[in-house]
Parts: sequence; C-alpha cells; structure tokens
Amino acid sequence: MNILTNLKTIASRSPWLYRINAGSCNGCDVELATTALIPRWDVERLGCQYCGSPRHADIVLITGPLTRHVRDAALRLYEEIPDPKVTVAVGVCPISGGIFRESYATCAPIDQYFPVDVNIPGCPPRPQAILDGVAKAIAIWRERL
Amino acid sequence: MSTQTALLISVLLFPGGLFALAFGLALKGADRRFAARLQGRVGPPLAQPLFDLVKLGFKRTMVPLTATNDTIFLAVPLVGLAAMLHAAAMIPIAGVTATSPALGNLLVLVYLLAIPGVVLMVAGSVSGSTYGAIGFSREMALMLAYEGPIVLVVAAVALRTGMAEGQVVTFSLAEIVRHQQVHGANLFDPVLWPAFLAFVFFYPANLGIVPFDIPEAETEVLEGPLVEYSGPALGLFKMMSAVKAVVVLGLGLALFFPVAPSGPLGLVVWAVEMLVLMLLGVTAVRVGIGRMRIDQAFAFFLKWPLLAAVASLAVVVVA
Repeated sequence: MNILTNLKTIASRSPWLYRINAGSCNGCDVELATTALIPRWDVERLGCQYCGSPRHADIVLITGPLTRHVRDAALRLYEEIPDPKVTVAVGVCPISGGIFRESYATCAPIDQYFPVDVNIPGCPPRPQAILDGVAKAIAIWRERL
Repeated sequence: MSTQTALLISVLLFPGGLFALAFGLALKGADRRFAARLQGRVGPPLAQPLFDLVKLGFKRTMVPLTATNDTIFLAVPLVGLAAMLHAAAMIPIAGVTATSPALGNLLVLVYLLAIPGVVLMVAGSVSGSTYGAIGFSREMALMLAYEGPIVLVVAAVALRTGMAEGQVVTFSLAEIVRHQQVHGANLFDPVLWPAFLAFVFFYPANLGIVPFDIPEAETEVLEGPLVEYSGPALGLFKMMSAVKAVVVLGLGLALFFPVAPSGPLGLVVWAVEMLVLMLLGVTAVRVGIGRMRIDQAFAFFLKWPLLAAVASLAVVVVA
C-alpha cells in the first residue's frame, strides 16, 4: 500500500497537457501556447508537456464558448482521452459565454457537457492564473490516480 | 557461471537490460534539461522520463475500434523493446565489457537497429488512424534514406579493421574495439572521416530527433505512429526509444572512439562520452534548428551522407 502511494506521488509529477479549442477567439490559446505554459514560465519543471495526441493526455485545457458547430467533435475528442483525467476550463467563455453569451451559436456554459474540475476566469486569464489553475488540476489528478 | 547465465545477465541486467534502460532514461532526462537551459528555462528534473513511465503505468490502454488487429497492435511495442534489449547487450563498453560472440556480430546489430523503425511502421498502419498511416509512409521513406549510409559506414569500418588485421573483413565488434585500443581510435584515421561524417547525420535520423523527427512530428501528424497508443503500451515505446539512444550512441563510440581506461573508471568515462555525444550531437542541434520536410530529408540523405559513406568505402578499398 505504501509503495503504491509512493508510485502515485511519482506518477503525479508527469501531467501531460492537451488543448481543446472549442471555438475560442485564440486569445486564451496564445496565452497557453506562448506566455503561460511552455516558453516563458516553463511548466515543464512541474513535468508538464504538451502532447499531440488526445490518447496521451492527462490534463485537458478547454478554451472557448463551445460553439454548436464544434460541440460534437469536442465531446468525441474528450471521450478519446483515457482515464484518469482532469478538465480545466480556461478563460471566461467556457464559464458563461463571455462576450459571446448572447449568441445563438454557442453552448456555454460548458459544464452542461463536460465535468469541469477547475475554472480559470479571465479574458484572457493572466499567465499566473493559468499556472495556478494547472497546479490545482495536478493536485486533483493526484487524488484520482 | 554457465554461458546461458552470462548471456541472460548481459541481456537483462548489464550492459543491456536494466542498465541500458536506466542509462537511456537518464540520457533523455539530461537532453530535456539541457534543451530547457539553452532556451532560458528551468527544465524538468533529470528523472522526468522515469516519472513519465510510472505515470503511463497508471493509465488505461485503449485499443481503437479502427485497429485492424488488436493482438498485433499490442504486441509490436514488445517486439521493438526486445530487439533493443538484445542490441544493447551487444554494445561493447571499451575496457569494461566485450560483445559475446553468441549474441551475434555487427551485421546482426545493423538488422536489430532497423527493427524499431519497422515496429513504428507496423504500429502506425495497424492502428487504422489516418495520422498513423502518414507516419508510416514518412517512416518508410526516412528509413530507405538512412539505411544505405549506415550499412556502408559499418562496411567501411569492418573493411578497414579487417585489412589492418590481415584478414579481408571483420564484423566482430569485440575485434574492432580491440584493434582500436591497440592502434588508436578510428576517429583519428583520416581514411574513415567521411564514414564518421555519415554516421553523425545518421544518428539523429535513427533516433527520430529534430530535424529528422518527421514521422513523429507532433505538430503536424500528432506523433504519427504513436497517435493511438496510450498507457502501458505507450510506455513500452518510450522504453524502446530510451534503450535505442544507448544502442545508437554506443555503436558510434564502439566504431569510432572506444577509448577508456579499464575497470569501473572506464564505465564512468564511457558514460561521460555518451552524455557529451547526446548533448552536443542531439540536444544542441534540435534546439537550434527546425524540422525538415520529408522530401528535403530524403534528398539530403541520398546526397551527402550517402556520398560520404560511398567515398569512405572507396578510400578504404584503395588505401
């Protein structure tokens, strides 16, 4: 039992990230890709790595208000991610729809469709907020392993 | 100790097996950390590849509905890892271990080196994924391009050593290492410089590292052949590529620079040489330049490394 706990602690130091762009305006994606995560603030020191395939993912970062056009594809993509996984909603759009809230073409809030674990509000969120959200997601993920 | 036990130890513990795996993971960790430092970041801990492996052990393995054959889908990474463990047991560590003739000679090693590429091709095509299929075709094109030069490099070294030893050709790794320990390393032999040049181009391509990571380009084809793998099966691929790093770098050292004192100190010197080769030849290059297109890489390999390897072979025959 003790060895298993130790192994899980080790395993929780390797959370791989996967981004789903659910109709985002790309503001949050730019924050994720350039400032908040890899090059500037370096989440690789927490063991995080962007992976190309959803099958390799542990933590899912969803941006955008979930447009109707992309909803089914995003849901299918989410199913492809093996358990255990943690879902993080980045930006204000997944929470309320943000500036798109009155649009007929969006399905926000996304927690009607995805079991969201961490919300990171902001338009776009500050890099520090995203890092904090990822750290919280890692803590949740450790419990699920 | 009987021969079988010694062989088992060399394949499962040292110099293949656990030792090669641990050393390969450490090399990968050093590579990632050094790359981060070159980019002005902090970088992951040195043991990060090990953490990744443990993590993959906890994940679920999913077999896609599109897979044409579930058994082959799950068995190919095992084949690749087994081939690499055998190859790692054959890598001589100068002054510490010599290759047992029972494991095979240089020709066997060249064949074993082709297996991970074939395994990736089979994995990509059996997964039934479009991206896997693209990875399959790219891997095949790249293999066609780099297999020629490596065979010629090995032939040049074998001919050179064989003729110096009074035979025609020798494919025994132990003999090649022994010859260099007596007569000086091949790296300082001008006749073999073109072969060395060809080898320098070969190993990033064989290890699947930028600029030659075209089959597994994660931003273009979502990691190509590995796109459908998850959990422990993906972990086996990661182990395969870690051991492969040891095999390819170790082969380079054995062919061109097997210089080390004997005993435990020799092991340390060997490990440092491997680390330098990895950081200078792989990490610095992959941080510095971008990925080639497959047609560029194919044309490049059929031009310069092949030319260098043919030139080397010709010079060896004439000299």
